[in-house]
Amino acid sequence: MKLRETYIGKILLTIKSLATGLRVTLREFFTRKITEHYPENRKTLHIAERHRAMLCMPHDEEGNNKCIACGLCSMACPNGTISIVTKSVTDEETGKSKKVLVEYNYDLGACMFCQLCVNACPKGAIEFSNSFENAVFDRSKLIIKLNK
Amino acid sequence: MIDFNSVTTAIDRFLNSVLPHQAATLVECLIIAVCAIVAYLTFAIVMIYMERKVCAAFQCRVGPDRVGKWGLLQVFSDVFKMLTKEIIELCSSDKILYTLAPFLVIMSSIITFSCLPFDNGLQVLDFNIGIFFIMAASSFGILGILLGGWSSNNKFSMIGAMRSGGQMISYELSMGLSVLTLVVLSGTMQISDLVEEQTKGWFIFRGHIPAFIAFIIYIISGNAETNRAPFDLPEAESELTAGFHTEYSGMGFGLFYVAEFMNMFIIAGIATTIFLGGWAPFTIPGADAFNSAMFMIPGFVWFLGKTFFVIWLLMWIRWTFPRLRIDQVLVLEWKYMVPIGLLNLLIMTICVVMGWTF
Amino acid sequence: MEVNFIDIKDFRETMLAHRRKGMDFLRELIGMDWQDDGLGAIYMLENSSTHENIEVAVRTLDRERPQLPSVSDIWMVAELYEREVYDFYGIEFTGHHDLRRLYLRNDWVGFPLRKDYDASEELNPVRMESEPVEEFQREYDIQDDREMAEIVEKLKILHYDQYVVNIGPQHPATHGVLHFHLSLEGEEVRKVDIRCGYIHRGIEKLCESRTYPQILPFTDRLDYLSAHQNRHALCMCIENAMEIGVSDRVQYIRTIMDELQRIDSHLLMYSCMAMDMGAITGFIYGFREREKILDIMEEVTGGRLIQNYYVIGGVQADITPGFAKKVKEYCNDQKIRIKEYYDLFVNNVIFRNRSIGVGVLSREDAISFGATGGTGRASGWACDVRKRHPYAMYGKVDFKEIVHTGGDCYTRLIVRLEEILESIGIIEQLIDNIPEGDYKTKTKPIIKLPEGRFSASVEGSRGEFGVFIESRGDKMPYRLKFRPTGLPLLAAAHKIMKGCKIADLITIGASLDYVIPDIDR
Repeated sequence: MKLRETYIGKILLTIKSLATGLRVTLREFFTRKITEHYPENRKTLHIAERHRAMLCMPHDEEGNNKCIACGLCSMACPNGTISIVTKSVTDEETGKSKKVLVEYNYDLGACMFCQLCVNACPKGAIEFSNSFENAVFDRSKLIIKLNK
Repeated sequence: MIDFNSVTTAIDRFLNSVLPHQAATLVECLIIAVCAIVAYLTFAIVMIYMERKVCAAFQCRVGPDRVGKWGLLQVFSDVFKMLTKEIIELCSSDKILYTLAPFLVIMSSIITFSCLPFDNGLQVLDFNIGIFFIMAASSFGILGILLGGWSSNNKFSMIGAMRSGGQMISYELSMGLSVLTLVVLSGTMQISDLVEEQTKGWFIFRGHIPAFIAFIIYIISGNAETNRAPFDLPEAESELTAGFHTEYSGMGFGLFYVAEFMNMFIIAGIATTIFLGGWAPFTIPGADAFNSAMFMIPGFVWFLGKTFFVIWLLMWIRWTFPRLRIDQVLVLEWKYMVPIGLLNLLIMTICVVMGWTF
Repeated sequence: MEVNFIDIKDFRETMLAHRRKGMDFLRELIGMDWQDDGLGAIYMLENSSTHENIEVAVRTLDRERPQLPSVSDIWMVAELYEREVYDFYGIEFTGHHDLRRLYLRNDWVGFPLRKDYDASEELNPVRMESEPVEEFQREYDIQDDREMAEIVEKLKILHYDQYVVNIGPQHPATHGVLHFHLSLEGEEVRKVDIRCGYIHRGIEKLCESRTYPQILPFTDRLDYLSAHQNRHALCMCIENAMEIGVSDRVQYIRTIMDELQRIDSHLLMYSCMAMDMGAITGFIYGFREREKILDIMEEVTGGRLIQNYYVIGGVQADITPGFAKKVKEYCNDQKIRIKEYYDLFVNNVIFRNRSIGVGVLSREDAISFGATGGTGRASGWACDVRKRHPYAMYGKVDFKEIVHTGGDCYTRLIVRLEEILESIGIIEQLIDNIPEGDYKTKTKPIIKLPEGRFSASVEGSRGEFGVFIESRGDKMPYRLKFRPTGLPLLAAAHKIMKGCKIADLITIGASLDYVIPDIDR
């Protein structure tokens, strides 16, 4: 009969395995902890560049955006998150009428961050931003007007 | 070292001189009760905070650090939260037993707590069968747990209560055996004498191998008695949600919670008293200068230091191991701990008879 | 479209003949509504040793009381699959002895995946009262002339004089909202009744009204711990159907990301198993390393849980410059950490005693239940899709399929931990050699699949994940079915949980490693 199958052998093996476990936790007891101190570390916090926190529409210095109000994004959205209000404006020089964006409404609460709208946009007018602190007390505050 | 016996005697004389004898006794009882409860709660707060921080350190976290500096006020805010919680009344529970159960648990815990010798003379109950009394008082806490589980009329609670009954009654045995081993060594059951004896050297050193084995058995069965992992089956949260106290809310749960922590303190305190010399300082026979330096440190510092070290050991165990299954718990007790404990008692007796102790 | 149907009278004979010929693995059972061509089901069978595949279709033209013979006695997993088909199509399987709804409430009106389903809110309002509990198991008597089988209400599922305990739907150890209805005797489990559907979202129904790119995000929300693999399967299926070629670079990236996801999932499995058994420290240690994978993933895909990375024809964005370095650093670290898991938890005597010999699933049962993934491989069934039907880069890399024969909870954990090392091996072979190329093949703006039936399967984190699409040439699928990895595991759980202790039940649940959104879909 092997030692490991005897009564004494079992006790010794038990003690050994328990001691190994205790050693692991004891070592961890004295190593540096990995907790991140959010929100104190806001300044040093690293958020991945591609992190999708909410949809936004970048504006240049004069406050113009690239949106041409084509509506492809709202068509691509599986959840109906985006709604666009447009108006027709007649161009004075050419005389052609053109659709212009009035309001670009985005419902953050219904968004599932699938990026289909960004992929669909022919002008690159919308993108996902990193601002992830989106908690609000009221659902209605999640409906955001993106254009200025 | 201060002898607290003189302090207490002085207070007693003073009270007797201004009041009739019976009134003086009553006042003394009240003072002691208040002191005991205040000390009890203070240690409970320290323990809960310590548990959180130690557990966090074992788990590569930092633990609570939001409420107050280093999270020092965390426990107080928890207590406040618990006080504001609604106490849920179950329509199908046995009202009297349901309300009584947490008090039984806390009563047994406070009575045992008052037997601990914090320093020379700083002890509430001290008589010739002290150890025996501790064992008896600590074991009626099971009653509270059983009643709590039974009267909640919840199936999870019921399973938890039955598990705890089976487990705690079994482990009482090996705990008693290991304590008995030390009683054989010391030749007394009176706690004050037990500690007095150890000023010459702690029992764990004087009883060498059998005392050390008894210490290990005591720690294991102590862990089981307090329902802490790896023996937390009565409240195994991944199986029975919360076990016997599933249906308790607010301070009903709070009392169970505090009692669990304080039972750990008591187990560690008793381990300190009978194995590690209680308030007796660490001495090396022959090294007089060293010994007298050690005696300069107050007794309660020694006692608390040793107790908290044992508590840390218990926490280390608790945060390392997975939980056992109920049949394995019983196998461990009846097939391993009890036979080894009995054999150990025999060895100790032989050692004492032959004079092979220090 | 052309479907070769087997005559319903010969159906059982044919199926039995297939089973005798060694078709022992029922991969999928897909309920179908072909409108005028009747209601029916497609059975996908596989030979577990030769990996030969066949498809069998059967239908009935009766829409009032559609009935098909049950195969639940031939393949055990069919018991749950047929309940699912009954739930969604109302097809009654004669000879099935427990034909209840699987996902929807008992008082649900209509069968939602039928094409003529009335979705009006008057029929199925949001009900505020709890579900009426069905007490009886149903069996449909098979008559010789097959005129009309009748319901026989035979057995009560659970009697009220039994000690009945509900594990779930809100319970710390069910890893989500699953409901075990248990009958106990002391600590021992006498009967188990599994109820799912608490987070059933009807994704397959939703898919029928979404364009193909819009379906992609759903895959991340099935088994969220194999988000990449699930999406891989769908992308592969669509790419094969449309004959879109993807560059080698994409294949490399997809393989690496799949393996990272697998490690992530297996780490979570280890962690949750530790937690379920009370070793909370072991849980945190597993999560400590998982965090690093999530960081790497976030850097590349922009998501931590919902990855949203693969698209039809490639990936959403190219890998980031520091990717290879980070992955290599992580791999080296993980190899050391695995030893720590063994020291702390796996080799611990308490864990070994609680898991060795507990919940043993034999090889035959594993195949019959279709329990693929780590569970199947722990029972000695070499069921890895990466080896059986290699896809992406798996045919070209060198890796070992971990197969053990213990079949118990302990082996199931060991298989996962060893697979982590294999996955690291695969990643290390690929990471330095990612070829240059496009990260996305240009596709048409509107994606339409040609008419036909297409399927693809990948090795998800916890078993074979399959996608089946029947297309009528539209931009939306006519029928889309995901092969769940979890449902077969649940079917197996049902069997091995009988007779164990409550504590073992938790261990078995943790070791099978199911994910509820994948079961419920």
